[in-house]
Amino acid sequence: MKKKLLSALLTGAMVASLGLGSTTVMAAENTEITWWAFPTYTQENADDGLGTWEQKIIDAFQKANPDITVKLETIDFSAGPEKITTAIEAGTMADVLFDAPGRIITYGKSGKLAPLDDMFTDEFVKDVNNDALLSACKAGDTAYMYPISSAPFYMVFNKQMAEDAGVADKIKDGWTTDDFVEVLKALKEKGYNPGSFFCNGQGGDQGPRAFFTNLYSTSITDEAVTKYTTDDENSIKAMELIKSLIDDGLMLNGAQYDGSADIQNFASGQTAFSILWSPAQPGTQAALLEGSGVEFIEVPFPSDDGVPALEYLVNGFCVFDNGDEAKIEASKKFIQFMCDDPEWGPKDVVRTGSFPVRTSFGNLYEDERMQTLATWTKYYSPYYNTIDGFAEMRTLWFPMCQGISNGDVEPKEALTDFTAKANETIAKAAQ
Amino acid sequence: MKLNKLRMRETWVSYCFLAPVLIFFLVFVLAPMVMGLVTSFFNYTMTDFTFVGLKNYIRMFTDPIFLKSLKNTLLIVVGSVPVVVIFALFVASQTYEKNVFTRSFFRCVFFLPVVTGTVAVTVVWKWIYNPLSGILNYILKTGNIIDQNISWLGDKRYALLAIIIILLTTSVGQPIILYIAAMGNIDQSLVEAARVDGATEFQVFWKIKWPSLLPTTLYIVVITTINSFQCFSLIQLLTNGGPNYATSTIMYYLYDRAFKLSEYGYANTMGVFLAVLIGLISFAQFKFLGSDVEY
Repeated sequence: MKKKLLSALLTGAMVASLGLGSTTVMAAENTEITWWAFPTYTQENADDGLGTWEQKIIDAFQKANPDITVKLETIDFSAGPEKITTAIEAGTMADVLFDAPGRIITYGKSGKLAPLDDMFTDEFVKDVNNDALLSACKAGDTAYMYPISSAPFYMVFNKQMAEDAGVADKIKDGWTTDDFVEVLKALKEKGYNPGSFFCNGQGGDQGPRAFFTNLYSTSITDEAVTKYTTDDENSIKAMELIKSLIDDGLMLNGAQYDGSADIQNFASGQTAFSILWSPAQPGTQAALLEGSGVEFIEVPFPSDDGVPALEYLVNGFCVFDNGDEAKIEASKKFIQFMCDDPEWGPKDVVRTGSFPVRTSFGNLYEDERMQTLATWTKYYSPYYNTIDGFAEMRTLWFPMCQGISNGDVEPKEALTDFTAKANETIAKAAQ
Repeated sequence: MKLNKLRMRETWVSYCFLAPVLIFFLVFVLAPMVMGLVTSFFNYTMTDFTFVGLKNYIRMFTDPIFLKSLKNTLLIVVGSVPVVVIFALFVASQTYEKNVFTRSFFRCVFFLPVVTGTVAVTVVWKWIYNPLSGILNYILKTGNIIDQNISWLGDKRYALLAIIIILLTTSVGQPIILYIAAMGNIDQSLVEAARVDGATEFQVFWKIKWPSLLPTTLYIVVITTINSFQCFSLIQLLTNGGPNYATSTIMYYLYDRAFKLSEYGYANTMGVFLAVLIGLISFAQFKFLGSDVEY
């Protein structure tokens, strides 16, 4: 009996040591990392399924780095943020995330990310040559997001409708708020449905905010991005104008639409314009635009002085600190490949439908449209999405807009209340 | 001695069979409940876990959005439960004596929204309610009932009602099936005897059928109440609690705080409150409706 027990123990020990040994060898040989990607990338062919491009670049990376395996998981914009929050709390978060600074910096400030300071080399900083953009990737002095591309948000009009109303020539870079109102009146006279001041939820809420601030050249925060300034005289004037446009039927009450629904209304030819558009949208909405035969005019937001200030998207990567140094290093190597590889970096930028943050990549687009849009990067306004409490401010923004649109509250009262509460979120988050 | 051994072995076997369910219950039901209760006394966020006593509870009762959400939740319960019970009873009483085909047809019609996925149902209703191209506005305009499109989900006057209507369509299926089954179990000899004695149809229903249907009614009332209190997915998919919190419910607000702002402690406080509220209301329902139930 004793002999049997001894031999069983020995066999067990041998098997265990073999298993452990092989695991150690495996770990030394191969590091597996997981990449969670929002559907930001456009695919090369219309028939390519979601994640096709992402997998293609993974394959190229793995070929160059056979010691690292990358597992791709796609997440969507509506349920994705909640999935990330849950995964962080459960300790099951992916290693790499492709997103924008708004969320990434929040995760960074919460201590969930690995710092990427070592990737912000002098060469990289010099090549980007844009302090505002680089600071958008940092919380304080610590870099948490490695940027790859950026693109402005702006407006879009239905070309056929604008031509029919005889106002197509008014819709152009440098137009004013008065021009805009004139265009809306002409479109209404022709019986076209206007676009909406959409505010059903947080989806695409940067559009209405940028539209609102441009009308009378105000801003969401002060220049230094330390406090919200949405209750000044011109902001109230802008919101009163929006309210009157809704009341006069020149804009739709957007309490039922979010950004995605509003864009779909436009792309399907149901409405004359949308206050949210970006360089990648024609690709994303290709099927709807083609099906409805809608041609479009892209234009910066109208402003009282004709000089727009555009909000912009920064695409980039972050690395979650899951306690495994090997995975962190492998993740950094992977994102460096996607962003900076001489062959794949530029290709990857093009697939984001945006403009490279690296000036050395030059002009990646040959068509006139993208070259025009590239010039609008000069209108970039201070990037406030990394302000403390930004996520909570967003939960206050759309109910405020709904209240104004539905006439529940006067613009002045609503903006005063919103600004006070939004400023409280800064203090609360800083604590 | 042998008998004891046999009993012991049987007990062990029973526990082995029970184990999977028991483990599942402990890990996925009981443990989260206890953790939810405990963390409701903490400032539990992504970066903090500090004991704050009753602070979350005080905050909850002074939070205007929570109070609005509570009011909306109660409106949904009050607006949906009686309608579901009365409508299901009406449909069941009209169909249970019909032939098998008709009965099956109505069962199928009313049960279809129950088995259809919530997302699919929501997409259809989103289209029905669409202010620009929705069929509801089209019908009402064609019939000269309205002259301008209505934003059903964007206007606070209609949004909650629009949600309740969808909730009704997805809630009546099961009660109808249950009522039809319960009506099949009513002792027909009592019904016939009452009719022979000259009882009116109303008297037959009220004195004979209704008492027999009370256990089923109690079950339906309790389940529908709980489901109405937990109304979440429709709101999340259709209105995000808007316009201006007009359709925000406790469940939605809880989700909003937990998963958008990572305020887990505060969200759990609302969860505890909701559980207690549902428990008290269910107890009251058992107390008042259950006293007349004869099994």
